[in-house]
Amino acid sequence: MTEKNEKMAVGVGRPPRPADENAFSPLVDIYEEQDGTTVLAAEVPGASRDGVDIRVDKGVLTILADAPLAEPAEEYAKMYVGFTGGQYYRAFALSDEIDRDKIEARLSDGLLTIRLPRAAAAKTRKIQVKAGE
Amino acid sequence: MTPIRWPSGLDPFSSLRYMARELEQMVGRSLAGEMQGVGGGAYPPVNVLNGPNDTIVQCELAGVARDDLDISITGETLVIKGTKKPPADEEKLHYQRRERGSGEFNRTVVLPNQVEADRVEAKLANGILTVRLPKSEAAKSRRISVK
Repeated sequence: MTEKNEKMAVGVGRPPRPADENAFSPLVDIYEEQDGTTVLAAEVPGASRDGVDIRVDKGVLTILADAPLAEPAEEYAKMYVGFTGGQYYRAFALSDEIDRDKIEARLSDGLLTIRLPRAAAAKTRKIQVKAGE
Repeated sequence: MTPIRWPSGLDPFSSLRYMARELEQMVGRSLAGEMQGVGGGAYPPVNVLNGPNDTIVQCELAGVARDDLDISITGETLVIKGTKKPPADEEKLHYQRRERGSGEFNRTVVLPNQVEADRVEAKLANGILTVRLPKSEAAKSRRISVK
């Protein structure tokens, strides 16, 4: 069944580390929409909302997702194995132009979509020079 | 498919690739890791598990909605077809990195036994498709006693 597309929490703090070195690297698409928002779409099939940990720390966005694969009972013989369960882990350096408080993440059908809006450009303020006394 | 051309005799994966080409009789974690890439293996990746009463086929399909999937069974062949849609208004987007791929896919799985097509069930959850195919009576094992 196609999952509801609900928002997830994006945390701050020290980035999570995968349980072992053999974590998969999820396939990602990174694209920019016309208003400057960067969108990151990462494939994490098998992961549910509780198993995904997204954090931003010192300009680095880290994704760690637990993607178990339901193992059928022992009497099933594996005739062909094309994929296994495991963890997905990938980290990205964020540009300074991204407004880190407004990062949004959604998970649906094993696809994690993270929206990174661009911060409003710092306004230039003119400084009046008063005549000195 | 060989994405990299190795000088003759040096391909370390040649024996693994030969095994993969044999008729769906593969077990092994090492090969599963190699098949993760989109370009290097068939898409979508499948697992075929054979039990005493049914066969289970698992398939990895991140980002594919239920309506975009077309699963059919003919005799002993299971066909998983569908479309992986790119984001809406693709022309207006500026891609910086594109790894996922999009478009139509088509994977045929030859099943190890005859199945009862009317009782086949398919479920899609978190991007993993699980198809359970109950074996037909004739395909189930039967002990033969020796007199």
